[in-house]
Order: sequence, then C-alpha cells, then structure tokens
Amino acid sequence: MSFFNTIRERASSLSIFDKANVPKKPSKDELFREEFKLPDDETIIDETAAEMLVVSKEDSNQNNASNNFSSNENQLSNHSNFVFSGKLYLTKHYIVFRDSFDRKSCVIVLNLSTVKKVERIPSRAYVFALSIVTNCDIKLLIQFIGIRSRSEEFSYKLKTCLRDNVSNTKKIDPFLESLYSEFIVKKNEPGADKSAIHSPDGGLGQLFKYPGDPKKLRDKSKLRLWYDYFRRYGRNLSIARQKMFYKLLRVGLPNRLRGEIWELTSGAMYLRYQNLGIYEKLLKDNEGTSSIAIDEIEKDLNRSLPEYSAYQSEEGIGRLRRVLTAYSWKNPDVGYCQAMNIVAAALLIFQTEEQAFWTLSVLIEKFVPGYYSKTMYGTLLDQKVFESLVEKTMPILWTHITKYDIQLSVVSLPWFLSLFLNSMPLVFAFRIIDVFFLHGPKALFQVALAILRINGEELLEIDDDGTFISVLKDYFSQLDDSAHPNSKDPKFRQLTKFQELLIVAFKEFSNITDEMINQERNKHKPSILQNIETFIKRSQLRNLPRTPNLSKEHISNIYDRFYNCIQSHKASLGVGSSSMEFKTYQQFMNGFCDWALPEEEYDSHPEDFLHRLFRNWDKDSKGVLSLTDVVVGLDKLVNKNLMESISYFFEIYDYNNKGEVDREGILQISEGLLYITKPLQDGKVFDFLTKKSIENYIADKIVEKQNETNDEVILLPSEVNIDQEIFQREQGERYLSAASDFIQRAFEYAQPAEVPELIEIDDKKDLEKIKANAALDPNHPLTLNLATFRMVILADESYELLFSETLSSSIHLDRSTNISDKGGILRDMFDGLLADGRRVANQVRRRMDSSATSSSNNHDSSSIKSKPGNASLIEEEDEDDFGADATSNDYGDLLENAEIQALGDVPVSNNVKKDDRENELKVLHGEMTEIEKGLQNQSISKDKNLIEFEN
Amino acid sequence: MSNKQITPVKLVLLGEAAVGKSSLVLRFVSNDFQENKEPTIGAAFLTQRCIIGDKTIKFEIWDTAGQERFASLAPMYYRNAQAALVVYDITKPASFIKARHWIKELHEQASKDIIIALVGNKLDVVEEDESNRKVAYEEGETLANEEGLIFLETSAKTSFNVKEVFMNIGQKIPNPENVTASGEQGRNDARVDLNVNNDSVENNGCNC
Ligand SMILES: Nc1nc2c(ncn2[C@@H]2O[C@H](COP(=O)(O)OP(=O)(O)O)[C@@H](O)[C@H]2O)c(=O)[nH]1
Ligand SMILES: [Mg+2]
Repeated sequence: MSFFNTIRERASSLSIFDKANVPKKPSKDELFREEFKLPDDETIIDETAAEMLVVSKEDSNQNNASNNFSSNENQLSNHSNFVFSGKLYLTKHYIVFRDSFDRKSCVIVLNLSTVKKVERIPSRAYVFALSIVTNCDIKLLIQFIGIRSRSEEFSYKLKTCLRDNVSNTKKIDPFLESLYSEFIVKKNEPGADKSAIHSPDGGLGQLFKYPGDPKKLRDKSKLRLWYDYFRRYGRNLSIARQKMFYKLLRVGLPNRLRGEIWELTSGAMYLRYQNLGIYEKLLKDNEGTSSIAIDEIEKDLNRSLPEYSAYQSEEGIGRLRRVLTAYSWKNPDVGYCQAMNIVAAALLIFQTEEQAFWTLSVLIEKFVPGYYSKTMYGTLLDQKVFESLVEKTMPILWTHITKYDIQLSVVSLPWFLSLFLNSMPLVFAFRIIDVFFLHGPKALFQVALAILRINGEELLEIDDDGTFISVLKDYFSQLDDSAHPNSKDPKFRQLTKFQELLIVAFKEFSNITDEMINQERNKHKPSILQNIETFIKRSQLRNLPRTPNLSKEHISNIYDRFYNCIQSHKASLGVGSSSMEFKTYQQFMNGFCDWALPEEEYDSHPEDFLHRLFRNWDKDSKGVLSLTDVVVGLDKLVNKNLMESISYFFEIYDYNNKGEVDREGILQISEGLLYITKPLQDGKVFDFLTKKSIENYIADKIVEKQNETNDEVILLPSEVNIDQEIFQREQGERYLSAASDFIQRAFEYAQPAEVPELIEIDDKKDLEKIKANAALDPNHPLTLNLATFRMVILADESYELLFSETLSSSIHLDRSTNISDKGGILRDMFDGLLADGRRVANQVRRRMDSSATSSSNNHDSSSIKSKPGNASLIEEEDEDDFGADATSNDYGDLLENAEIQALGDVPVSNNVKKDDRENELKVLHGEMTEIEKGLQNQSISKDKNLIEFEN
Repeated sequence: MSNKQITPVKLVLLGEAAVGKSSLVLRFVSNDFQENKEPTIGAAFLTQRCIIGDKTIKFEIWDTAGQERFASLAPMYYRNAQAALVVYDITKPASFIKARHWIKELHEQASKDIIIALVGNKLDVVEEDESNRKVAYEEGETLANEEGLIFLETSAKTSFNVKEVFMNIGQKIPNPENVTASGEQGRNDARVDLNVNNDSVENNGCNC
C-alpha cells in the first residue's frame, strides 16, 4: 500500500514534469552543460570565436629558439602544433573551448582554479591574444577573432571570474592529490624524489587486484601512453581532449586510470570538485537514521559482484554500503534500486568512495534518468526505444521477433539496467562503460544493437524468449574467442568477438545519435507513462477498503481527481506527493461538490465545515489525507441512509467521540448546515421539493391548456415558460428558515451540561422554564447529543431530505477529471425536466385522472407524447407517492419501534406540515432518546435528561 | 532422451521480495539451496524438464525481481504465461496480502486460462517453532479455493513440496495434442538441448 503510494508519488511528479516538458526544447545553457558535462549552475557568461594552440613544456623547450612565447606575435602560425579554430566560452568556473569543425579534434574544459597565469600577448593593434598557463605547465595560446572591443570585454570578464574564483584555488592542490594522473606525472618527472610521492587512494582494485589479466590487458603500455598524453595536453581539471584522447579511450582504459577517466568523461569530477566533503557530510548527518532504502541495500550487499574478492571482505562491503547509503540520502526519490548495487560495486573497483558517489550521481541523474526511479519508467522507456531502433535498423530480425512474439525488452532490460555488468564478463563490460561515460546512453543502444546484429542469423531460427536468451548468454560467454577462427588471415583470426562487437557497435551503428534517441524517447514517453499510471492505479484501487456507497467508476474518478489536484498544486515545486493538504483538499472537494467553494471564494477558518470534515477524514491526525482517507470519507458523505448520514454529520462535530457537542459546537453545526446548503439557498441548484413544485406547476399549466382544447391526446410542450426566480426565492427562503429553526430548536432541546438538581422540581412548568432559560443563557453550558440532533434535523423537511438525498446528490462523483465545466447546472436541470417528459406527463395524467369524468383508461402512456430524453437529473421514482419515498425507508428501522404509536396516525412524510412536525417533536424526543439508548450504543443519553420528558 | 513431444510451459513467479521465489526455482531446477544469491535484475530465466505421466513438460521459468519497484515491469513477464506461482512467506503476513494482489492482477490482466499455484513458503521455519507462523494454513487454502488455485505450503530449504507444486501445475497443463492443435508445436528438440543453461536439464528431466 505505502509502496504504491510512493510510486504513485513519483509517477505523478514525473509525469507532470515530463508532460510539461515534452514540447520544450532544452535551453542553450542546458545543451552547453550537457555537451561538456558541466555542473548545473554553470552558465555561459561570454563566448567568442577564437583560435587555440596548446603548447606543452616540451613543445616550448623544443621550439624555444624560434618561438618565444612572450614576444613572438606570429607564434600561433609558426608553431608545429595544430591550431584549432573554434569557440571559446566562459562560465563562472570554467573556460571551455571547442573546435568548430570537428569537436573531436579539440575540446578543452579548464577549471579556473587550474589557471596559473593569464597574460596578454603583445601583438599588432588589430589582434587580441591571451596566453593562459595551467598548473600542468600547459600553455594555451588564444587568439580572439572578431572586433577588438568584444575580445577585450571577454578578457575583462575572464579577469572578473578569476578574481571571484580566488577563494576556490586553495582547494585545488589537495584535490589534485586525489588523482592518479597527477601522481604518475609527478612520479616520472626527471629527478623526482620517488619516495616522497605517494599513490593516491583508489578503488578496491588497488587492494584486491583488478579483474582480468593485466598482462593481457597490456595495462602498462596503456598507462605509458596516457602519461605522455597528460604531459602534452594536460590532465583532469585542465585537460585538452584531442583525437589521441579518444583513441586511447577506445583501446580500453588502464585499470589504474579507469576510475579517474570515468570521473572525468562523465563530468562527475567537476561535481566532486565543486562539492568537496559533501559525501562525508551526507553520511555523517544521517548516521544512525534508518530507512527502507537502507534495509534494501543491506539485503543486497552480499549479492553484488559476489565473485570479486573485495566483495567477500568487510572493506569492500563497507565501501559499497556507504556509497549506496549516501546516495539514498542524496536522492530519496530514487533511494535504492536493485542493479544500482552492481553498478556501484563496479565503480568502486576503480574509484574511491567519493568518486564513485559522484559518478553514480551523474549516471543516475544525467545518463540514464528514470532507470532506477520508483516506477523505473526510464528502463521501460528505453526498452521501447531499443525495440523501435531494432525495427528501423534490422527489419528482418524485427519481423521475426514480432512473428514469434518474442519479447525483446525482456531480453535487453538487464543489459541497460546493469550497464551490461551482469550480462557479460566484467572486463568487457568495463570497456563498454569506458565508452558509455564518454558518449552517453547512445553507446548502450549501439552495443545492444550490435549484439543482435552479430547474432542475427542464429536469432532468426529461434521462436521463443527463453532460447533467445540462451543464445545470447552463450555468445557473452565466448566474447574472448576469435570472431573468425577459421579465417586464413591471421589478423582476422586475432580479432576477438568482443572487438568485433565494438567495431559493429561504434562503426556500423555510428548513425545512432543522441537526437535520434531523444526523439524516440519523446515519442514513446506518453504511452509508457500511461501504462505505468494504469498499472499503479489498478494496484492502488485494489488496495482500497470496501466502500459500499461508491461505484467502481466513482472510485476511479476520485483517484484521478485526487492526484490531479495534488499534481497541479505542487507542480511549481516539481515534487509530487501522495498525500493531500487542506488547500489541495479544498480544490479537490470543489471539483466534486456543489457547495465546496474554491479557495479564493471562501474565507475559511479552522472550525468550518470543510476543516472539520478534513480532520474527520484524517484518521491518524497527520495533517494530510491519503487516497484511502478520501475514498472512505466520501463513501460516508454520500451515504443516503438517513440515520447513518445524520449520525455521520454529527460525528464531524463530535471531535472526541463524546456523543455530544457543546454550545460552540451547535453554532458550528448550524454554520455547517448553512454552508452545505448554500447553493440551495442561492438557487443554484434545486432540491427534490423544488423540482416537485416545478413539475406540479408545469403539469398545472398543461392541464389548463388541455381543458381548454379538450383534446384526448396529451401533448407535452417542448417549452414551458417558468419564472425560475420564484422557485429560487421559495427554495432560498425555505433553507434559511430551516437554518434559523434549527438553531432555535437545537438550543431549546439541548440539555444543560450539568443539570442542577432537577429532581427537586416537580412542577413540569417550572422545569420547562428553567430549561428554556438555561438554553438562552450564553454562559450556561449545554450539550446537544446525537439523538437530539437527529430529532431536530428530522423536524425539518428540507433538512431531513438533505441527509437522505440532497447532500448525496450534491456530490458529483460521476464527474471525471476531464470535465471541469460545472457551469449551467440549473439550465441542465431545466432541460432535464422538460426532456424527461414522462415525469411531467405522469403528473399531468394524475391530474387528468382525478379531475376527468371521462374514462381514465384512455390515458395509457402511449397516448402521451413526449420527447424522449434525458432522465438523469431526476431519478425514477414511484410516481404516486414521491413525497414519502425519500424518507420512509430510512425511517424504517426507527419506526419499527415505539414511536409509531407515538406518532399515531400522522404519516411520516414530507407532506407533514411544519406545524404538525413541531407538535410531534416533543413527543418524539422522549421516545427517540429511549429508542436511541436501545438502538445504538454510541448514543449517550443521560438518565437525568429523560426525566423531564417522562412525565 | 525421450522422443515424445515436449510441451513448453511458460511459468512466472510472483510475490513479495525475499519470500523465496529464487530459492524455490533453484531447488526445483538444481536441487540446491543458497543463502547468498545475486539479486535478480528484471527477471532470471531458467528451464527445467519434467516427465509427468505421459507428458514431457519443459518449464520455462521466469523468476521476477524481488524489489517492489520492479512490480511495474511484471506485466512484461506474466504476459503469455501459462502458469504462475504466487509465493508468500508464511511467517510474513504482509507477503500474503501481496499475494492476494498478485492473484487479482493475474486474473484481471494475464491469459484467461492461466494456471495459478499459491505457495506458502518457508514451512521449515514454522516446523521449527510453530509460533513463527503468521499466516494460517486455512487462510491460504480458503483463498486458493475462492480463486480456484492450486495451494501448497513448501520449504525451499528442505525441498518439502517444491516438486509437487510444479507437478500439480504440470498435470493441469492440457495434453500435447491439444497444444499442437493450438499451434504451439514446432519446438526443435535438438535446439532445446543446445540451449540449456543449467546443468540439471542435462540429466534428462527431473525426478518428479
Ligand atoms: N528458512 C528458509 N529460508 C528460505 C526459504 N526460501 C528462501 N529462504 C531464504 O529467504 C531469503 C530470500 O530468498 P530468495 O529466494 O532470494 O527470495 P526472492 O526474493 O523471493 O527471490 C534468502 O535468504 C533465502 O535463503 C525457505 O524455504 N526456508
Ligand atoms: Mg529473487
């Protein structure tokens, strides 16, 4: 139950988000951040066209003779290195450069903290150039293109940013010490004191060995190449990515560097630098706190890459526990989802806890949003996207798959969810992840497509999910084998199946782009979300308690409106909730009930009806309502059983279940009655009695006409002019007088809270007098119990009807959320009246029957012509005695008993005149109190109170 | 190896996390029990062959993930299933409520003639100490009778009643001829053998 609440919670927040965002294109800043994996608060402060030259220390030594940095104005063109022409961006903490022609040829993301020196290069008047020296002793020579004043402006802004960043620069040195790239460069510097340089903390692989054979992986040579690269183009927070960078990455990262490069290419490094210490803080702040996520994490700790030795040790398990736990605190919306344990366990082989934490964060929030969410909608969505890509790129296989009804998503889901980590041997999955962090989710699709393409022929022979999975499982276990074992060409023979997979994935499917994936995601998102919503709704509705007064359709409408209200209410905050606060409740009730005014039209106070009702529904006094609360509450409110309905209304005001309310309570009840009958007072809706008089009026009119024409066949007019205002006024007056009568009677019949020695008074008249006085005395405490309340309600025809019928029909649970138009209730009602000609016809017939002397048999219904129409407004009833029908049933259980005699021959019906009722009251009261005692244990009638009536 | 027609039966396991779904499957397929198993991502797929009477049935078992949020993926797995094991833990009342929901879900959403077995697992824990029992045998039985299900209490740990569950399901599966008639034929035995992904299938059917 609670689970579905929470997943509903997520689903709702996501869908508003998504629905609202589908047409919206990402902003320039968003695209910029996405491209360079920068943190969310980096925005473009300035940008300019520029030419860029990256010069390392070695380069400058070599070229020193001919190229002096500080003086030669032609150095950009003279230098042996490439000059890149592109765009230069400035953000609060970064300088970013990207080659305009080929983004792979040069991308520089430079954190301002790494800038050691910025110099203006003296040059001819029309050229503006800067030299930036980084902490890696890399010099960036930047020549601005464009008008000089713009270049100067850029440079001025850069200066400002550098100045603002000064406070961050002290963080840089300790940060760099955490990086392996810094370590290998320092260690291998000529003349370095190797004993003074310590390797930074790293992943579990450093302690427990990395999976795979380092020789076979050729880790040492790879590391050497990276070392050269770092010296030449910089590293970590000031790295320039050139073609070589991508080449090195594609052959597989050396284990020791893998953690750092993952962190770099995913952008997690920028986050870690920006949020140093946050990881530790999260753990510390939540120490000792328990959560469902933590329980779930705990269950899986021993089941995460259990075959890797580190995860058979406390060290490994401890790191995994801390990273997953910290993330569940960072992002409670996701908390913990199975598969995250496997991904985090993989990260921790190469990364420190803090690195893994931030990498996991960008992975979950940026790379595969929605994969691990409470509804896992992202996972489902991407399977759909994958299927549609298969359809596009491998139509023959797709036809086969659909023909045999093989569910591809069942096969591919674990690939995506665990980034292939639980599908293929770890060493291969790591290599896919190398590319994935660089290229984003499209890499997963490319690999998945390649798997199917390579195994296509075999898959075409398969006709069930199970075998499909088996074939691929076999394939994954053979990735290390030769792809072409029988080839004559030794080069071909050497090629492993895994290499083949990468080639097919990234060459053959290089046309799978991010845009394509986004397009497909947008296309399928609505239906996926709809499916999830339907599933959740089904599950939640199934969990609701039994509600005899509500139909399935009602509950469904309540559900829709409930979440609809919460959504729109919290939309601005971007979070959904499965519980409803009072404000939202007001809006919710307004959608269903005639009398529940929208917030802006209603000046609410904590003791008014709606507040009371809210608190009555809020069973656990949480200050918010759950769907269950609302459904159960509405079920009681629409109850048409007169006695139960009256009791329930009383319960709303009888807070502590004392069985009575005090003076204040009586006043509030009367206010409540006024509140729920407001639309009736205002003539916005008509109750049964008014409808009846209108019918009578129309019938009279018709009969008049009929008598004039003396026609045998009764013709119902298609239109009758009715002075609506008359009926409105009549009804309004009726309800106002009901209200004032109520308060008068309530006070009259309320019992003094403490009855002062009544026994001594034996004169009945005196007693009455004392009682009346007490009632009028505002200082004298008095109480109204349920029995008395019931009696006072039953004393008034309108109020009696209110509880048996009018209130219930003022709550339109058949209104679905799509129909927001509530206007024209009254007009509808009139239309209904006329359209429902049969009712009027019956009235007419009755009149005719009783007045006509001619044969009454002529008037069968066939002779009455009426427009067939909408009978929905007024329910079908026994035409002959509509007056009593609404109440007689409900009276039933009460009337079985003694007061039938008490009532004598007076029929209990709406036909009873007000005065008669008044007279009956006193008799009734005594009886009822007694019956009450017998009937319902909840009713507390004090013996003392009885005395006054027994005489 | 029998040269009889093999009837494939798609079977899905549903139930709250940690009630013992994977353990039941492991017991059935490999006659084994493990304390630490990798959690199921999405669903695990296993097969097991059984000879029941004159039928050879190949169970294609989908063991769904334990965690609750995976519930929204469930329709993917029970779609087209001919049989389902709805498992609860007789020491955990909440898991019985979940089981109820799964049964309703299956009746509403799965194939019409799906054969469902309601399984109360971890009987060994109760046999050890009767006070551990939180769901009475009768409760399970009543639910099963109301909904027309097979009902058994099992222990994956001691293997009590585990085979019986699958046998009972197997017996309710219509005869191969009928299956053939309904177009479910054409499974190639050779390929089935090629693609076995667990050892026990090799030993030519289970002992049930
Ligand atoms: N004592 C006992 N423990 C069991 C039994 N079946 C499963 N378990 C344990 O319950 C836990 C959850 O089992 P698992 O099969 O992973 O449950 P699943 O989430 O439903 O797949 C594991 O620790 C199992 O060892 C059983 O019959 N008896
Ligand atoms: Mg499991």
